[in-house]
Amino acid sequence: MRYFWLSFKAIFIKDIVTELRAKQVLPTMIVLGMLIVWVMRIVSEASSLSTQMMGPAVLWIAFLFSGLQAQERAFATEEREDCISGLLLAPVDPGTIYIAKFLVNVIMLCVFEIVVVPVVFITFRVGVGDKWIEFITVLLLGNVAISSIGTLFSAMVQLSRSRGALLSILVLVILLPIMLPATFALLLIFGVIPEEFAGSGALAFVGDLKTALGYMIAFDAIFTVACWLLFGFVVQE
Amino acid sequence: MRRLLMFITLALLLTSTWLAFTVGEVVPSEDEKGVTVEKNILYVHVPSAICSTLCFLVLLLTSIAYLVNSKPIFDYIGAASAEAALVFTTVLNLTGCIFSRVFWGPWWTPTPRLLTSAILWFLAVAYLILRAGIQNQRHRARLCAVFGIIAFIDVPMVFISARMMRDMHPANVGFDTAWQGVSFGLSVLSILSLAALFIWLRTDILRSRAQLENEMYS
Amino acid sequence: MSQHQKEDSESTVIEIDSVSKAFAAKRVLSSVSLTLPAAQSLCLCGINGAGKTTLLRIISGLLHPDHGSVHLCGCNVSKEPEKTKPRMGVISHKSMVYPDLTVRENLNFFATLYGVKKRKNRIDQLTENIGLFPYRYEKAAVLSRGLLQRLAIARALVHQPALLLADEPFTGLDAEACKYLVSVLNAFTQQGGTIIMTTHDTNIGLRCCNRVVVLDGSRLIFDADTTDIDIDDFAQDYLSYARGAN
Repeated sequence: MRYFWLSFKAIFIKDIVTELRAKQVLPTMIVLGMLIVWVMRIVSEASSLSTQMMGPAVLWIAFLFSGLQAQERAFATEEREDCISGLLLAPVDPGTIYIAKFLVNVIMLCVFEIVVVPVVFITFRVGVGDKWIEFITVLLLGNVAISSIGTLFSAMVQLSRSRGALLSILVLVILLPIMLPATFALLLIFGVIPEEFAGSGALAFVGDLKTALGYMIAFDAIFTVACWLLFGFVVQE
Repeated sequence: MRRLLMFITLALLLTSTWLAFTVGEVVPSEDEKGVTVEKNILYVHVPSAICSTLCFLVLLLTSIAYLVNSKPIFDYIGAASAEAALVFTTVLNLTGCIFSRVFWGPWWTPTPRLLTSAILWFLAVAYLILRAGIQNQRHRARLCAVFGIIAFIDVPMVFISARMMRDMHPANVGFDTAWQGVSFGLSVLSILSLAALFIWLRTDILRSRAQLENEMYS
Repeated sequence: MSQHQKEDSESTVIEIDSVSKAFAAKRVLSSVSLTLPAAQSLCLCGINGAGKTTLLRIISGLLHPDHGSVHLCGCNVSKEPEKTKPRMGVISHKSMVYPDLTVRENLNFFATLYGVKKRKNRIDQLTENIGLFPYRYEKAAVLSRGLLQRLAIARALVHQPALLLADEPFTGLDAEACKYLVSVLNAFTQQGGTIIMTTHDTNIGLRCCNRVVVLDGSRLIFDADTTDIDIDDFAQDYLSYARGAN
């Protein structure tokens, strides 16, 4: 246990320090996220769509596409100078490497959200009222979803020398099911949908906030465990 | 054995098609005049749905088998199953679009089942894109096996997520006559037989191609 | 081919027993067997594609053999990686260090992963010995190729392994850096360490090793002490053989 903690801490701190020094991914993510938000705001203005209805969807779009930048970073640093071999030659369990990189990705997404969420609030004129805890919970669950899958697939894509949009395709396909409850949860939290309509079938979504959160928690738990177990097969022959 | 399977598949396809157009034909009700052909789409649509889910199950089993003992045959069968899944999810989506157009107006609408069909199609496509992007045989087999397991875990998540939406899709397949039931059963069997034949043939092709590559580059 | 008597098992550091490996239909290694005691250095020669790197990856545990086994200090490399990994260090033509971390940070990172006690003292001592002390706060990205190789060596030796695996370590090094690496490898064997090295440069390889084996057609076809052969003649013959094979 002590050894797990030592190696986890070493890899975690190494990744954080590397990112803070390189200053490549986080600024790119934030700028891309803000650009997506502004482009969609212009689109909503041009097409007279309700900004409040679009707010949650735009937040997830910005989060997904910018979040993919964080996922690509996870193993890009390991590919240089064949550092991944150096890691695997050390007596470190591959699961420990996965957990450390997964948590770094979650933190980077949290930092991204701290910057971009206020931008969404201002440009789309939405707010969470007194539902801050639910809002942060939904965002964290989204972070865990994209990080759990993105960390595994990032290793697959980097170590297979594939390039292009392959990582985006793989991650987005697997994340499609969680987008529905995630967007609905935000619509409820932002007060765009009155709470009395939730669960009634008056809208297309027949659940309520608890159902949506329950689904997201189940999705995150299942995929985090599955990706953690499968990670060793990806990095080791 | 393969010729026997080909013969059985052909026989089942011909029989089920004949039944579907004759005694098994779904007769429209008073307010459904003119939609006979579209309602009979269920003889292709539903078996395709069952078949594509089973193809993902085969992909899961072969992926696990490959990760356990690294035998290339499991990789070939897995890849062939993914290709079969793509074929049948394409048929599923196309027939679903036709049904949607006739009964609800738009070509596609995000009802749970159409959403599920679309996501299954994307899963099959993503597997094949991943496969095409890796040149090294060993890496390809291993990474595709991992993706195959993740993709199958995604399938029930897709079903549950989609059930959170209000559903316009007919809930169950109901039959007015026994012949319709027989016809439907034979349709399912014929599609499954076709899928098995497809997977068998594609596995052989993939295996031969891999052997040829090894001989060329060794 | 000279015959080697089997050493007492207590002093056998590495034992490779009938290791075979095939990738798809291509057999890369066929029943390769080898034992090495402590304080011995082995030069593993062979043309491109002979299986040298595959054998090294199997010994290091990065790859599993189809048949046979590798034992390091009595422990099975495939089945007991937690016992064997701390006992081996690997150098290759890629440095396996993080460009954005300093020399100290890189060494501290790997020392932590290997469970090295009193890391600060060990790193200070290592950087002094290896000539990296003045550069300890420099990022690895700004180091020259020669200094980067020294950092790679330090990384491989930080946990004081019993076995050092070196895969083409002289690639890209100038004469000065090559000379330095040879001195480090000699010092390692003098202190009781065992080395297995692959190299295309038989001149340098044979001068810092006391045993040479040649891999060809997935098998070991030559095995001799370097004291039993004429190094220059061997290097000449090997060059002709390699040119003919290519």
